[in-house]
Amino acid sequence: MSWSKRLGWICLWVVLIFSTAVITAAIKQRFQDGPNRVFSGGPLIRGELHQGAEPDWGFVNEIATIELQLLEPAQSRRIWVASVEGKLFVWSGYMNSVAGKLWKRWPGQAERDNRAVVRIAGKRYERRLIRLREGPILDDLTALINQKYPSRTSRQAVESGAVWVYELAPRLATTEAVGGAS
Amino acid sequence: MNSLILRGTLVLAATALAVWFVPGVDDAVESVFQILVLIVSS
Repeated sequence: MSWSKRLGWICLWVVLIFSTAVITAAIKQRFQDGPNRVFSGGPLIRGELHQGAEPDWGFVNEIATIELQLLEPAQSRRIWVASVEGKLFVWSGYMNSVAGKLWKRWPGQAERDNRAVVRIAGKRYERRLIRLREGPILDDLTALINQKYPSRTSRQAVESGAVWVYELAPRLATTEAVGGAS
Repeated sequence: MNSLILRGTLVLAATALAVWFVPGVDDAVESVFQILVLIVSS
């Protein structure tokens, strides 16, 4: 067997083995309590469930990521976060691209059922995702995002639909049970 | 050829089992994957 052919076989095996490992690790994470760094996780189970008054969300601007879970489907992911005017925001970019639509499926799922749970610093909060399409608050929010993260977003990007911004608002008359410890 | 397919299947099954059951392997795989994604996207 020639060297080039042997090298081709080795590369093929490395790719196959690594792909198998990545797929297995991603599937395994779906059965865990929350996401890891990149792979989505299962429902957020651990952590005290917040009850009572709305917190001052300013502290999230010192936190890199939070864990966000939709109730349907009950999958969680790690996501960037920012707070402006006492409100909590998450967002999803690349929404005008095919790759973005394939990669970022949670915004579409949130359009169908906007109930969510977030876990921040080990504490869970029941929320609902409300899409923000326009408004002057986007100037402050995108400025904060660009300052906090290696990101170049803008109010125009949000208004064009390239970036979907959601406010994590409190649930109204919450009756939906969240599993796990409370 | 059959032997090659059998050996390949065994290797991939062993890989999947190791990632699933050996503590820390899944995390290490995710770390490498994350680095690769960062390199590709930068």
